[in-house]
Order: sequence, then C-alpha cells, then structure tokens
Amino acid sequence: MKKLLAPYLIGLVVLVFVPFGITAVMAFAEYDLINEPRWIGWGNFEELLRDDVFRTALINSLVFAGIAVPLRLAIALALALLLHRRAFLGGTARTTAAVPAAIPEIAYGLLWLWLFNPLFGPINQFLGGSDGLTIFGRTPPGWLTLPNDARAGIIIMSLFTMGEMFLILIAARQALPRDVYELAEIEDATGWDIFRRVTLPLMAPALGLLLVRDTILSLQLSFTPALVVTNGGPPPYATTYLSLFVYRNAFEFLRYGYAAAATVVMLLLTIAAVLVQLRLLSSPRR
Amino acid sequence: MAGLRLEEVHAAFGINGVDLAVGEDELLVVLGPSGAGKTTLLRVVAGLMPATRGSVYIGDKDVTGLRPGRRNVSMVFQSYALFPHLTVGENISFGLIVRDVPKAEARERTVKAAEAIGCQHLLSRKPFQLSGGERQRVALARALVREPDVFLLDEPMSNLDLELRVETRAEIKALHRRVGGTMVHVTHDQTEALVMGDRIAVMRDGLIEQLGTPEKLWNEPETTFVARFVGSPAMNLLPGDGPVRPPELFPEPAWLIGFRPEAVVLGQESDPAGTVTRVDVIGEDSYVYLGVAGLDAPVVARVPTAQRPSAGETVPVGVRAAHVFDAATGRRL
Repeated sequence: MKKLLAPYLIGLVVLVFVPFGITAVMAFAEYDLINEPRWIGWGNFEELLRDDVFRTALINSLVFAGIAVPLRLAIALALALLLHRRAFLGGTARTTAAVPAAIPEIAYGLLWLWLFNPLFGPINQFLGGSDGLTIFGRTPPGWLTLPNDARAGIIIMSLFTMGEMFLILIAARQALPRDVYELAEIEDATGWDIFRRVTLPLMAPALGLLLVRDTILSLQLSFTPALVVTNGGPPPYATTYLSLFVYRNAFEFLRYGYAAAATVVMLLLTIAAVLVQLRLLSSPRR
Repeated sequence: MAGLRLEEVHAAFGINGVDLAVGEDELLVVLGPSGAGKTTLLRVVAGLMPATRGSVYIGDKDVTGLRPGRRNVSMVFQSYALFPHLTVGENISFGLIVRDVPKAEARERTVKAAEAIGCQHLLSRKPFQLSGGERQRVALARALVREPDVFLLDEPMSNLDLELRVETRAEIKALHRRVGGTMVHVTHDQTEALVMGDRIAVMRDGLIEQLGTPEKLWNEPETTFVARFVGSPAMNLLPGDGPVRPPELFPEPAWLIGFRPEAVVLGQESDPAGTVTRVDVIGEDSYVYLGVAGLDAPVVARVPTAQRPSAGETVPVGVRAAHVFDAATGRRL
C-alpha cells in the first residue's frame, strides 16, 4: 500500500512542496532570472505595503471573492434544487447548466469578449433596445471600458462556470433520504419550510465544503478572464486581481522575488479565509 | 378520531381494487408478503401516492384528492424518517411548528407526547445518539403529538431485534388502548399481526385476501394462501384424495385438505406409514417432517420434544380434522 502512494507523494513533493519552499524563500530576495538572487529580508513585503497597485489588486480580489463566491454557490444550489428531479428535458437542462465549466478558459474568455462588446456584443444589443437605451433610460453598461461595469462583467463570467458545484450539489440533494421529505409533506410543511428546515440543514456539509473550496479557488478564477477579456483594465487597474498582479510582476516585469512575496500574502489570506469559514461551519451539527 | 374507509381503490404499483373499512378505535394490521401492496396501500391513504380509481374516506370526508398535509394522518416510516439535524424535541414538534402552533403550546404538547411514549428523557438528544428502539419511540411520539385522525405505521419494528420487537408490540397495543384512534399497521410478520391486530387484513397481489379477527384467520382461513401464510411452519396442504386425510372424508381429487402441524396424529396403527426425514427441535416442541408414499410434499407434525421420533424412523401419520379447500380456486369449501 505504501508503494502505491509513492507516485502521488513524489508528485506532491516535486510539484507542490518544492515550488512552495522556493517561493517562500524567494519572497525574501530580489531575483530577475539574469542576476544572482539578492537577499533583501522583509524588503519585498515592505514594498507591497506601500504599493498602490497591490492594494488595488488586493481590494479587487476581496470584493470579487465576497460577491462571486456566495452568488456562485446560491446559483448552483438553486439550479440543483430545481433540476434534481427526473422531468421532461431535465437531463438536457442539467447538461446545459454543467457544460460551461468544461469549456477551456481561454475559449470561454474569448467568447465573453465578444458577448461583452459594448457596441456590437449581443448582451448590449439586447439591453439597449431600439433606441439604444436600457429600460432604466441609461446607456447599456460599458462592460470592458468602465471600471465597475468591468468588475461586474468578470463576476458575471464566473457565475456560469459553477457546473462542478452544481453537479456536487445535485448529487448531494439526490442522496438525501426521500422519507424525510414525505414526512414533511404529511406534516403539511410549505416549500419554504422544507427548504429552510430540511434541505438546507441536510445539505449544509456539502455547502460548507464548497464554500471553503470556492473561496480558495476564487483567487484563481479571476485570472484568465482578467487577462484575456479586460487585460487588468480599464485603466488604471480596475480588474487587476492578485493573481494577475503576481503574473505581471513575475513574467512581464521579471520581479520574481516581489511576485513571490505577493503570492505568500495571497496564500496567507486564503488560509485566513478558510479558517474563519471552518470556525463558522464547525458549530455542533450532525 | 374518525375511522377510515377505502372504496374500490386502485393505484399504480399493485393496488387492484381494495375495499376496506377501519373502525374509529380499531387497530387494523395489514399483513402480506413482500410485493403484496401493503406499503402502497398505506401511501395511498397518506396521500403520498395517488389512487388511480376509487375513493379514500377519513371519517365521512372524501380525501382522495387532498394533498397529504390536508388529510390529518400521521405516519411512522420503516426508517423512522427522523431529521438528523434536529433534537428529539424538535423532531416531535416539527409538525406543530410548521403548522404555526404557538411555541409554548407546541412545547407543552411535545412533552406530553414524549411522556405518553416514555421518551421525555431524550428530548434534547440528537437522533444519532439514540438506539433503534429509542428512535422508534421518538417516531411514535411525533406521530402522536398532532392528534391525527389516522395513524399509519409502516413496518416500524422491522429494524428492531427480536426481544425489543416483542416488547414494542405490547407497547404499541397498550398505547392504542390508551389513546384510541384509527391505527393501520403494516407488517409481513404474522406473529406481530396475530398479537397486535384487532383485525387483520391479509393482502396478496394488491387485493385483500381475507379480513378478520386473528382467531378467525387462524381457525378459518378463507383461502389456501391465508392458510399457508399465517402460521409457522405453514399449514399442511395435501390432495383431497391422498393417503393422509381425515378418515370420514370422502376422497375427492378436486379438493385440497389443510391442517396445522399440531393437528397431525402420529403412531395410530390404522394410518399410513411415513418416514421421518427431518426433526427440528424448538424447545419444548419439535417439528417432525415425514415423507409419505403418494405425497409430493412432506407432512409436518408438531410433537412434544420428549416424544419425538428420530430421523429415518417409520411412523404412522394421520389427521382427524381438516380444512377443505377447492383445489382450483384455493377458496375454502
């Protein structure tokens, strides 16, 4: 049995622990691939504290996670509860909900680049109506050109890739015993009562797990769309998230040490968020 | 409390025209093998399955088209269906809370129901902290708390061990005597049915084969199915013209004669000889299986263990009184 674990352990060490160790060490150095690394102690972290771009990226990331994660979870749950039964076209509906998660991120990003085009994209064509104004009497959102609209656009893109969460929640819902629902029916519980008092508590373990997992993933989710669709903009840094900030510093500005320090901050943030959630979710339950 | 009446009820998954009336304070046991339609019948009464034809009345009210919550029935499921995330108290009061009964009243009624069942000391526990027997009590208390018109119990004892089952049978019967009400109890266990039921409805293939008191079912089975299904080992059913039959009975090939193992007489010289093939010792009594020339199936006899013959021995086998059935229809003559 121990031998069977070897490939996994070797992979874990070579692909995760070693790079993590190198990143952690590099966070305290200055390195540009050309010159020898130079030890600068806490210098990178001190610079991060003063860096306005980093602060913007950090706030963007937190706002993204704070809005996108609960929304993704809520949408996945709503769809799972809607589509878990056998029904006419149910299978097609389930596939439709799940499939965007299977599309390569770059292709998905390019598709949204077209969908979000402020002038010719189908979304604004639809929102604009015949006079070019929305039903609220204003011009349609400038998805790729106005900061807040661009941030909203990145969040909207992320909402359609909750297919995996949706599948897990469908499986979790289908695994719930049928008789407790029948009992609730006999007791004349309303749909809202059943959702609140039966479904939600019984699905809480799966929901909690997905919440923690999606929070971890949320720092990566924003990377490809921000790179492909908005390129970190509109200027100055409306959709520059931590992952894009790290990428730019490392691979465009060749500041590996600085990028490593930002990565360490990202990791610590993730750990803190997960710990807070675990604390909240660990109330006595069975 | 109101009584229950089914008129010509049909349903998918095997209910093929059931007529049944259960009295106001009656405990009716529905007995039958797996697939007979017992649970389906219960689900149709509860409204969890629609009746495709026929009517269900609770009291004088036709509830056939009503949703489950509007029928004022309560059900104890085979799995008990306790909510794992709620305490025992919350489980019991669930039906009151969702019906917006004031909290103080719900609490009072919950405690009262728990006391009636003897589970008041468990109120703050979660279901996973309970034994099988305790869970069943909680499910019963939950069924009781709403004071329903009809109690439906779907094999509530099938998950209990034998000792607990015997105890629980008596408790449910005592509970019924105390609180009254129309109670329909589904089981495949004939002993449970005989012990508990005021009357028993034996079901087979979605139909009621016989409805009657336990004594009636035991002493006068209407069909060969009831004769074989009630009693263990099953009643001997032999051809009417075979070698083993009451001496005064004229041999008739169109008949089947039935008699219970305790009616078999061994050792009377005038009877045909049987060879002992197997002896099962069950404490004081033993069941002796005898092969008789001219009969395909063995004759089973109950004898005191002290007087049991041994396997291989040849013993005269006879019977003095028997039930007579039509071999073609299986009905009693």
